[in-house]
Amino acid sequence: MTDADIALRVEGLNTQIHVGSDWHDVVRDVSFSIRPRETLALVGESGCGKSMTALSVMGLLPPKVARIGAGRIVVDGIDLVAADEATRENMRGDRLGMIFQEPMTSLNPVLPIGFQVGEALMRHRGLSRRQARQKARELLELVRVPAAAERLDAYPHQFSGGMRQRVMIALALACSPKVLIADEPTTALDVTIQAQVLALIADLQEKEGLAVLLITHNLGVVASVADRVIVMYGGDVVESAPVGAFFARPTHPYSEALLAAMPRVDSDGGLEPIPGQVPTLTAMPKGCRFATRCALRTDACAELPPLAPVGGDPEHVARCWVRRDS
Amino acid sequence: MSEAPLLLVQDLKKTFVAHRGWPIPKRTEVRALDGVSFEVGRGEVLGVVGESGCGKSTVARVALRLQPSDGGSVTFDGADVHMASRREMRAMRRRMQMIFQDPASSLDGRQRIIDALGEPLRVHGIARGAAVRPAVERLLDEVGLPRTALDRYPHEFSGGQRQRIGIARALSLSPDLIFADEPVSALDVSVQAQILMLLERLRRDRGLAFVFISHDLGVVRHFCDRVVVMYLGRVVESGPTAQVFAEPLHPYTRLLKESSPEPDPTRTITMNFQEGEPPSPVSPPTGCHFHPRCRLATERCRTERPALRDLSPGRTVSCHLA
Repeated sequence: MTDADIALRVEGLNTQIHVGSDWHDVVRDVSFSIRPRETLALVGESGCGKSMTALSVMGLLPPKVARIGAGRIVVDGIDLVAADEATRENMRGDRLGMIFQEPMTSLNPVLPIGFQVGEALMRHRGLSRRQARQKARELLELVRVPAAAERLDAYPHQFSGGMRQRVMIALALACSPKVLIADEPTTALDVTIQAQVLALIADLQEKEGLAVLLITHNLGVVASVADRVIVMYGGDVVESAPVGAFFARPTHPYSEALLAAMPRVDSDGGLEPIPGQVPTLTAMPKGCRFATRCALRTDACAELPPLAPVGGDPEHVARCWVRRDS
Repeated sequence: MSEAPLLLVQDLKKTFVAHRGWPIPKRTEVRALDGVSFEVGRGEVLGVVGESGCGKSTVARVALRLQPSDGGSVTFDGADVHMASRREMRAMRRRMQMIFQDPASSLDGRQRIIDALGEPLRVHGIARGAAVRPAVERLLDEVGLPRTALDRYPHEFSGGQRQRIGIARALSLSPDLIFADEPVSALDVSVQAQILMLLERLRRDRGLAFVFISHDLGVVRHFCDRVVVMYLGRVVESGPTAQVFAEPLHPYTRLLKESSPEPDPTRTITMNFQEGEPPSPVSPPTGCHFHPRCRLATERCRTERPALRDLSPGRTVSCHLA
């Protein structure tokens, strides 16, 4: 794959946060790339590092408490890790768009919607106020906000949750970015509204040729919209596969356990909870970080396994000594 | 059902009135409950599903008389909850408890666990003095928390552990019925499964009945015997959980099911663009509340409110077309 086919490439990303007097790894050696029109889902539970990965890519890590320790994040041939803040700021909102879980906290409550959607166009494209307003209206129509023209002057609190998320999407797409990072975009929404928003993202992705990095904890959403899946646990990628292969043969014990713990609408199958809980950052086990909760644990697990192909499929890799192809 | 139900809710109504706007405030009415009826048998788990604003949380609050009703009745074990005197109410509260979505906000941050769990025991005269500690220890054992938790504060626990504390507190007075309002929706999947297994066990061991409020069809399917589907303050369908989800009768139940994502790429959710926003309970549509979103709607649906009627044994639906 040449770089021209890749919208976003992340190589050996290592992100750390400051706890007490030490830096601890919250993202360890994460690599992936996404092509235009492709959706990559990062899945895992609280504290697995999926959101920290997204924030690292956006360059939105909180300063002083978090930093990128190593790795490259390449968009348009530019390495965002090595670039200066001015370059990063130019990329953000222009080449990279982001939507968050709770649009209310990311929209400014005292500015009208039309201005907020158009702001990025004034900043990045040098549009005048009037041009930006015109474009904002087109964008709101694109994300199917009803009566867009009249709602340009409305404020965020006048919108429902689903509509606010549409406004966020319009805002993220204002400058036609190549990459959209969606961090739990539908978690706060009702299921029927979730279906609408996911359909909207899929539709825009097709039209605009977007590469989507979807951060979610919901394996149902993954099965519905993703092309590839990366499962994270304790900051490590534990499994990475095309979506079909993943659900057909979830291989890492954690992926398997996650699926077995999920209640389903279409069957009465029993639930199997994962015993224990994620170790705290300061008490992470040395080798495989899932070992403390894993039924298949062996002595070998004291050492971190590499990501190795499973089931003879080079596209399907897992980080497990027990389940790897021998 | 031959014996009288443990909880009987009949035609329950609740309207919230707000005065909003400036300079001339406008009176707006929100009909949170618009004639809701259901019953819960002894040891039965009833699921209540629906989306934001459908009134599912209000049902619990009004049924427990945390808020007054505006019509209809709630009967608990033969006694009218809303007509009960203060003393009768106190005795009834002991038998009806509640678990909330976010135990962090329902626990006092400056109260140690022993005090949080011991308080109801003392107030209701179940245990006092030196007897409180062993009673609380037994509760912790039952919900799977270490006894060392006694002298710690809520912030020292993870979300799942805090929910266990919330459950222990609901159990402390040995209730017959527990209202659980989205008890697992704030938890990660693996922890959610742990809590569901715990509730399952408690239900078996203690013969508890539940009113289990959730927006997650998978969770309801797993835990509930029967389910009530609500839409904008009304019950649109009810019946045995497995039947309702396998073969939904109301178009809204069907939409909910088709929109719930399953971890199976061969069964993707139906994603269709519905124009506009779902109607709000402030100004609900006429006739059948669901008609603006319904593909099958006819003229009759726009004007006439469908009654909730029995379709087959145990199954009711409120749709002109079913």
